[in-house]
Amino acid sequence: MGGFFTEILALKNITKDYPGVKALDNVSISFEKGEVHALVGENGAGKSTFIKTISGAIKPTSGTVVMEGKEYSHLEPSQAIDLGIAVVYQEMIQLEARTVADNIFAGARDGLIVDDKTRYNKTKELLAKFNSNIDPNTLIRDLSMANRQIVELAKAIAKNAKLIIMDEPTASITVAEQQNLYKLVKQLKNDGVTIIYISHRLEELFEICDRVSVLRDGQYVTTVNIDETSKDDLIKHMVGRELSETYPQKKPATDEVILEVEHLTGNGVEDISFNLHRGEILGFAGLVGAGRTEIMQMIYGAVPKTSGTIKKYGVEIDPHSPKEAMHEGIGLIPEDRKYQGCFLDKSIIWNISISNLKTLSRKYVMNNSKEVEVAESYKEKMRIKAPNLRQKVGGLSGGNQQKVVIAKVLAANPDILIFDEPTRGIDVGARHEIYTLMNELTEIGKSIIMVSSDMEELLGMSERIIVIHEGKVAGEISKSEFDQETILKKASGL
Amino acid sequence: MKNKKSVGQIIADWSMVILLLVLVVFFSVMSPAFLTPLNITNILVQNVHVAVCSTAVFIIMVSGGCDLSIGYQMSVAAVLCTKLLAEGTVSVPVAVILAIIVCSVLGSFNGIMTLVLKSNAMIVTLGTMAIFQGISYLISGSKTFHNLPREFMFIGQGKIGPVPLNIIIMIVLVAIAIFVLTKTSIGRDVYAAGDNPEAARLAGLNVAKIKVLAFTVAGILVGVSAVLLASRSGSADSSTGVGIEFTGITACVLSGVALKGGEGTLWKAIVAVYVLGVLANGMQLINLGTYPQYIAKGLIMLFSLYLSNREQKA
Repeated sequence: MGGFFTEILALKNITKDYPGVKALDNVSISFEKGEVHALVGENGAGKSTFIKTISGAIKPTSGTVVMEGKEYSHLEPSQAIDLGIAVVYQEMIQLEARTVADNIFAGARDGLIVDDKTRYNKTKELLAKFNSNIDPNTLIRDLSMANRQIVELAKAIAKNAKLIIMDEPTASITVAEQQNLYKLVKQLKNDGVTIIYISHRLEELFEICDRVSVLRDGQYVTTVNIDETSKDDLIKHMVGRELSETYPQKKPATDEVILEVEHLTGNGVEDISFNLHRGEILGFAGLVGAGRTEIMQMIYGAVPKTSGTIKKYGVEIDPHSPKEAMHEGIGLIPEDRKYQGCFLDKSIIWNISISNLKTLSRKYVMNNSKEVEVAESYKEKMRIKAPNLRQKVGGLSGGNQQKVVIAKVLAANPDILIFDEPTRGIDVGARHEIYTLMNELTEIGKSIIMVSSDMEELLGMSERIIVIHEGKVAGEISKSEFDQETILKKASGL
Repeated sequence: MKNKKSVGQIIADWSMVILLLVLVVFFSVMSPAFLTPLNITNILVQNVHVAVCSTAVFIIMVSGGCDLSIGYQMSVAAVLCTKLLAEGTVSVPVAVILAIIVCSVLGSFNGIMTLVLKSNAMIVTLGTMAIFQGISYLISGSKTFHNLPREFMFIGQGKIGPVPLNIIIMIVLVAIAIFVLTKTSIGRDVYAAGDNPEAARLAGLNVAKIKVLAFTVAGILVGVSAVLLASRSGSADSSTGVGIEFTGITACVLSGVALKGGEGTLWKAIVAVYVLGVLANGMQLINLGTYPQYIAKGLIMLFSLYLSNREQKA
């Protein structure tokens, strides 16, 4: 192999057919040794299928995988590992009740008798490379998401990975941790490891990536050098059309105060006070773990508060359960769509009805035609893309799942809506639809609290932003003073 | 709205019925004594209490629970009821109602304990099973109770016209359960609580209440089942009903009830009860005793898991 040969991996003319769908359609992308190569595209663009082809989880219908000059019709999972390919999934699959060291050496063939001391030392050494002082004897379940990620990376390095695929690595870690992760990625790159980086957060690509490849509807669109492109260009490639404005304009809120929260304390937060106006979108900024979700849990009655009052239109309400909160006209679109928001194994219609069974039944007997009518109207209003209402929610894209969750909450007719991370893991097109919808809701008099870790979304959508730092209000910022730096500083306690 | 179903899906939907038909045809060929009105009635009647019990197991499993103590709940109800009747202390209706109430209390106890201890229902009921076993033997004093009043025996042995009364009771109870589970908001609640308790709670459902209620209703069914069994066999002791939870769980799992809860179709579970019933009866007729029956039961279970696995992958 000549000195100019730098390609480590290439997928050539990969096609993957599923019944009725071409998940990948004649896609060819080549990866160079030691580059950070981003892969972007809307949900359903074929990114997962692409990764799975590399990791050996699926066999492509046609096409070949070339790893270090050798051509394969497909890879088996064990073969991919032996070739030095590792994947760090967004939802990491780890041995929760085992130690860090055990996780890193899980499956290692280092002799029949486990030598804990050697494993401990080796793990310590590996983690030191990542400037991490996690104790190798810590149980995985006691680690933060960011630290779990570091363990996964260390595990990949322990197996001499030459190519690491990172799937949405920053989706569930804090801003400070993101910076650390970027550092790790750069370090791996300097050690000659190739990184395939998948992310919905386009801004971060400009910080760490060398090249970006775009997929759309299972087809390869383009590969560009990061310094020769812009975010707008990438979005254009991803959606195949220009978005006129990322954030739709909304009418200003009324002066009328709908919700007053005073000195709310409990669930890890302290003395939280704020007002919500009718027709307003009130943003909540803060680092992950600052206590924003915890505040919402108390307002929604999901976790009891220890003190403080919540007033709606000046009258004190004290919901002790989500059921009571819903009765007071409060709705929650939870942070974790899959585990808190929807019933994945159930149909769209079933999901939309579940919060609204009382009005859809008479003396407990379900009124099926009314149920279909209500669900059908939401499917249309929310532009839920699915062949029919009997489709299982688990089979929908993230954006459509989120629309089902919103429909479910709206069906109970609340006038205060709490959106906790409304667009996490949702593609650009569906995001825009959700933003438009949020604005439409405020126009018909609904009031929205939006917790978000996406700075642009907060700045683009909110009329005021409340910043939470370590369980306390660190500041309230009005639209005229919106500035990313100010918010970040307050959120970091500066 | 109409979904075109694949052939594999249709086979999976009807797998219990197909399996039942295959077994019926097979045993009809193997033994002339199988497909006779007498034998078929026997199979139906002998499994009535199993079907009612499996309905109880089904409700608990769909709500996301599990109950290993059902056999001893039945045992408590059976010995209490028959002891009172044999001693002549109470009338038949009082004894029957008492048996049902006691079982609903035991069921609620299971539900509340699962809730209070925030523990896996299987482990909790493993504990309460031992408690119920003790209670049963304390009531019975290891004695068997016979000489039960004729009105009581009528429940399990009598006929309305040509149809055995206990079959009518079973059909009515199962029909009510199917209606409640599929056509009412209560049914939705139960499936939601089993499928994803956290999402259900955030959707405004009182999940704790639903789960306890499932155990209570199941208890009522177990009580009825105890009465059906005792009145058919004409006697009861502390071993009455013991182990029936495993037949119930087998039938439910065979019919596709998810162990994690929230999924399952009751009529299929009832058909599965009769698959197991036909299997036991047929093997007896072709002179394969109890032990080969265990093996056949296990093989059918594994085979159905294979089928459902294949369906999921497709």
